[in-house]
Amino acid sequence: MATIPMTPAELDEPKTSLWRDAWYRLVRNKLAIFGLFVIIVLAFAAAFGPYLTPYDFLSQDLDARNAAPSWAHLFGTDDLGRDVFSRVIYGTRTAFVVAIVVTAIAVTIGVALGAMAGFFGGWLDRIIMWLTDVTMSVPNLLLVVVINASLKAPLAAWMEAQYMATLNPFFRETIWVDFILVFGSMALISWPPYARLVRAQVLSIRSRPYITAARALGLTTRIILMRYVVPNAVGPLIVSVSAGLGTAMVLESAFSFLGVGVNPPTPSWGNMISDGLRVWQHYPHLLAAPAAVLGLATVGFSFLGDGLNDALNPRGSK
Amino acid sequence: MNAMTMSAPERLLDVKGLSIEIDTRRGPATIVDGINLHVNKGETLGIVGESGCGKSLTMLSLMRLLPNKIKVKSGTANFAGRDLLTMSKSELRKVRGGQVGFVFQDPMTSLNPVMRIGDQICEPLIYHKAMKRADARIRATELLRLVGIPSPAERLDAFPHELSGGMRQRVMIAIGLACDPELLIADEPTTALDVTIQAQIVDLVKELRVKLGMSVVWITHDLALIAGLVDRVAVLYAGTVVEDAPVEELFANPSHPYTRGLLASIPKLSDVAANRLSSIGGTPPEPGRRPLGCPFAPRCQLAEDICRQSVPPLEPLGGSGPHRVACFVAQRQLEAA
Repeated sequence: MATIPMTPAELDEPKTSLWRDAWYRLVRNKLAIFGLFVIIVLAFAAAFGPYLTPYDFLSQDLDARNAAPSWAHLFGTDDLGRDVFSRVIYGTRTAFVVAIVVTAIAVTIGVALGAMAGFFGGWLDRIIMWLTDVTMSVPNLLLVVVINASLKAPLAAWMEAQYMATLNPFFRETIWVDFILVFGSMALISWPPYARLVRAQVLSIRSRPYITAARALGLTTRIILMRYVVPNAVGPLIVSVSAGLGTAMVLESAFSFLGVGVNPPTPSWGNMISDGLRVWQHYPHLLAAPAAVLGLATVGFSFLGDGLNDALNPRGSK
Repeated sequence: MNAMTMSAPERLLDVKGLSIEIDTRRGPATIVDGINLHVNKGETLGIVGESGCGKSLTMLSLMRLLPNKIKVKSGTANFAGRDLLTMSKSELRKVRGGQVGFVFQDPMTSLNPVMRIGDQICEPLIYHKAMKRADARIRATELLRLVGIPSPAERLDAFPHELSGGMRQRVMIAIGLACDPELLIADEPTTALDVTIQAQIVDLVKELRVKLGMSVVWITHDLALIAGLVDRVAVLYAGTVVEDAPVEELFANPSHPYTRGLLASIPKLSDVAANRLSSIGGTPPEPGRRPLGCPFAPRCQLAEDICRQSVPPLEPLGGSGPHRVACFVAQRQLEAA
């Protein structure tokens, strides 16, 4: 006679959680896995590429300027004889650093403000939503151009003065000015969508019975926000962050393309595309290489974002 | 066991003149009108009434958990010597979950879906009792065993969606009991459950309150369900207590016409021949349109002129004793008899 299972271990189906279920759904989605694969390869290139590249991104070979792709130079060389492959890999690092830092700052600001607006409501909500509306109503590009154009020169001059006064080598690297201004201005235009998303989530979660139950346990507002509200709002946020990373990379390229992003000689896909565009009829590889990688990265994040959306909100899809 | 046999029982919770208002477009409307309630130490009080009579709001208001548009207008709620309605927020947080446990109506939505149940039981222990995580988990295992969950240690790591409704309600009760509260407030804890599970939960609470020596307030619309559980019943109608009596006395001698109506509408097997369920005609008054006199007068078959003109006070039936009723007719009938 068959024994009747009695312990939970025997009775249960394999242990599942919301996250594990979502992971299984994600793995079954081929496009999402392709996107994840692309992102992992690019992230690897960003992290370790600079140690593996055959050439330094600054070293010039003036005898081999504008060379077509070959085994020695996989993506050819540019007008100064610099290896384009190495520069694209360095550009990957720039793109990832900018995308991750900008998204991290934007998400932190967005989640904090959105959660407070949604949870407390009232005048706080009105002020925060007014702030997001104002920020979103200013054209993104214009704001970034204004910030960079008006602050970059004075800040660089100040750094120069500090260097002359203190001889501290830190102040000699004006690249920090670039990065701080790029991070700051891009984060400034990127946070409002996160704030709106989180606010909407929190508004719906705030009135759920388990929040009242948590309050009836005497937990503090901070604990309720951090452990009950935000974790339940995080699904749509993950989707949004994945898409946001791709968007941030495109933004960084766009600003570099326009000359308000990361400045040469630091390689950035955007300024490589900008340089390549001027000579593309003669040397198409100078445009094709960075543009293709930028396209690939965008597609990768977009596929992963879609896959995550389907995995985390199974009811909404199909 | 019965509170009435003791001399001058100590009151754990004493609510006096509690009124609650809701903000509507037409201005504030009274939902709960000067309620007086008390719970003695070790006593189980049943609060009975139909939907919308203010049972849940009264209890939520004591823990200051009312939704935004609903506010307490007046009254005091003395709990163990302090007024719940005016104490500071930090004091209140210590009472919530620490001295007063709450069990909510819908176990499906009252547990945090992304948190393991073990963590949810540990939460009040870590917060109120300053327990270490490992100790809290041991206590959580004990609590799950106490509320009758099989293989409690394995269940600690389960998520709410992996448990059935009855199991989830047991978990809710375990959370409510975590810090050895002096008072457990159960707000229709069985409404969302099957009849057999309802009986199990009632039996569980009955057993636990003796074992733990706590007071219980059980809110329900189902008089029959709690007949064997509670010591005393307060019948609510339109935000006022219309009758308050020891449970045997209430069933033996229901005095308010509304209570009689409630008891009559419990279906009995012997009624099959009648083929119709008895009910009370009409609907309770809307919050903004309370009648001048007794709130039940418009639906009451015994109503007289005085009922429509002034509100009957809640007074002991026949002048003294624990059975109190707010009805002119019932009081007079007894005098005449």
